[in-house]
Amino acid sequence: MPLVLRQGRRALLAALFIFAAQAHAQKGGDPAACAACHGADGNSAIPGTPSIAGQPKIFLENYLVMTREGLRGNDVMRGLLKGVSDKEIVALAVHYSRLKPKLPDEKIDAKLFNRGKDIAVKNRCASCHEKNFAGREQMPRLAGQREEFLAEVMLQYRQNRRPGGDTMMNAALHGIPEADFKALAHYFSRLK
Amino acid sequence: MKKTALSLAAASVLALSVQSAFAQDKPKPPPAWHQGKPAAMADSKLAPVPGKMTETPASEIPIDKLKLPKGFKAEIWATGLVGARAMTLNEDQTKMWVGTRGIGRVYEVTNEGGKRTVKVVAEKLTQPTSVYANGALYVFAIDKVLRYDNAAKGVSGQPVDMTKAFNLPPEQHHNWKYVRFGSDKKLYVPFGAPCNICEPPTKEYAQIRRYNLDGSGMEVIATGVRNSQGFDFHPKTGELWFTDHGRDWLGDKGPEDELNRLAKPGQNFGYPYCHAKGIVDPDLAKGKKDACKDVTLPVTTMGPHAAVMGIHFYTGTMFPKEYQGVAFIARKGSWNRSTKFGYDVVTVKASDDGKGAKVTPFATGFMDPKDNSFWGRPAYLAQLKDGSLLVSDEQLGAIYRISYEAPAKKK
Repeated sequence: MPLVLRQGRRALLAALFIFAAQAHAQKGGDPAACAACHGADGNSAIPGTPSIAGQPKIFLENYLVMTREGLRGNDVMRGLLKGVSDKEIVALAVHYSRLKPKLPDEKIDAKLFNRGKDIAVKNRCASCHEKNFAGREQMPRLAGQREEFLAEVMLQYRQNRRPGGDTMMNAALHGIPEADFKALAHYFSRLK
Repeated sequence: MKKTALSLAAASVLALSVQSAFAQDKPKPPPAWHQGKPAAMADSKLAPVPGKMTETPASEIPIDKLKLPKGFKAEIWATGLVGARAMTLNEDQTKMWVGTRGIGRVYEVTNEGGKRTVKVVAEKLTQPTSVYANGALYVFAIDKVLRYDNAAKGVSGQPVDMTKAFNLPPEQHHNWKYVRFGSDKKLYVPFGAPCNICEPPTKEYAQIRRYNLDGSGMEVIATGVRNSQGFDFHPKTGELWFTDHGRDWLGDKGPEDELNRLAKPGQNFGYPYCHAKGIVDPDLAKGKKDACKDVTLPVTTMGPHAAVMGIHFYTGTMFPKEYQGVAFIARKGSWNRSTKFGYDVVTVKASDDGKGAKVTPFATGFMDPKDNSFWGRPAYLAQLKDGSLLVSDEQLGAIYRISYEAPAKKK
């Protein structure tokens, strides 16, 4: 790994753990615990950390339960959710599903955006994630999501290294090259 | 790069695409779900129904909406079993174990003094099911087989890891397992096709096997089985009768799910070329004249996309005589269909050799055809010693008890 990237990654890690530590100080089922990383309004300013505002309630519930059970997510999220009850999870899911996703970054690479759009049409992404990519039920919102997060998650699905994720996504992304994920991610992240 | 505890813990948190340049792609999975979707349905928004992963208290279960034949009554028997699927009981029925799928748990229900208490005895597993056999509880996950010895009075202690002996294949799709302990002291285990419609990637799929309890003596007893989610042994003949899901994306009419009868080991049930009562697969068997040659056709079809799950031959005396030896089958209900179908328990009455089968609705009202909505998804059945019938509801994580009392005779 190039040195610059390695350093960048270390800095990020440190930042993340400061946030996580702050979050841990809060009660697990309290939205304040989520705010440290995902933003007070559910819109994340941290690379690699997804925005959760306006995500479908069922998607949030399922993610939170699976992560608490140790079957999905990552160690930070698993730690935070330890001992959080089903009732608290439902309340969190309702809370974040009702928050407004912030308007996306206006800087658009038109060529990449249009390529992403074409790839999304070709792969019928909208058949599950909805025409406006706002998601529905167990299928997450993609519109306005952080670009680098989307690109990485799609790659993880294709490579079967997203624990506890829906195996249907592994299949849906089968055979799509990484460069296409970058175009898709740019496109989705710039949608309202 | 030196791996510190910190970076290990955070590796999955960081979504830096630079990481991925170093990760090698694992062997590619066979396209599973929307594979086989024809151009005409390409924009269809049908998708699997999401399961509910949080507890539902009894007060939020609309059990009154269940409709049963005259004299039958349904009540809530147990709650708090999120994702409840197949049920298995000890000899005196004081303990029951219930497996799940996504949530990764096996529950133990203690049934004493007319009350049920529920606890989790195994967790963090990938799609675990359980079967009580020979005094032990066997837990089958996608990638694990665990045996809890001396389980009759409740599961305690560490399990024996039997994974190696059973040598399970790795694919998850359609590979949740219903496992049954036969009177021949063998474990019966299905291995679904890991896709909607495909030539299985290896010879380990689309079949039912049986094993000795220690995992030895594996035999494939049925082939061409797409996705069996339940079976029972016929009370008179001892033959294995099993449910099987039909493929998706060929429209609302089917091909229908199946109820099959294994008359002798080694029979082929048609997948991936021949579905239901002789429908030739348009994708994999196009123009193939002998697609259904030597295929054992079902006892009966069970409805389009119905999602036939558990089957139980009724052997109690509580229900009226006409239910003796009749198969009860839970249909979890459709997703790959424009209007919902199933979401009920039906009975199938047939001769011992599977002739003249008749499917009749028994427990309905989980779904409302008026607005295409549903509240429950009946999945598996179990019979209590008093002859009442238990039904697990995977959607609301509950178990219902159906009993019968003869209506008072009019004078």
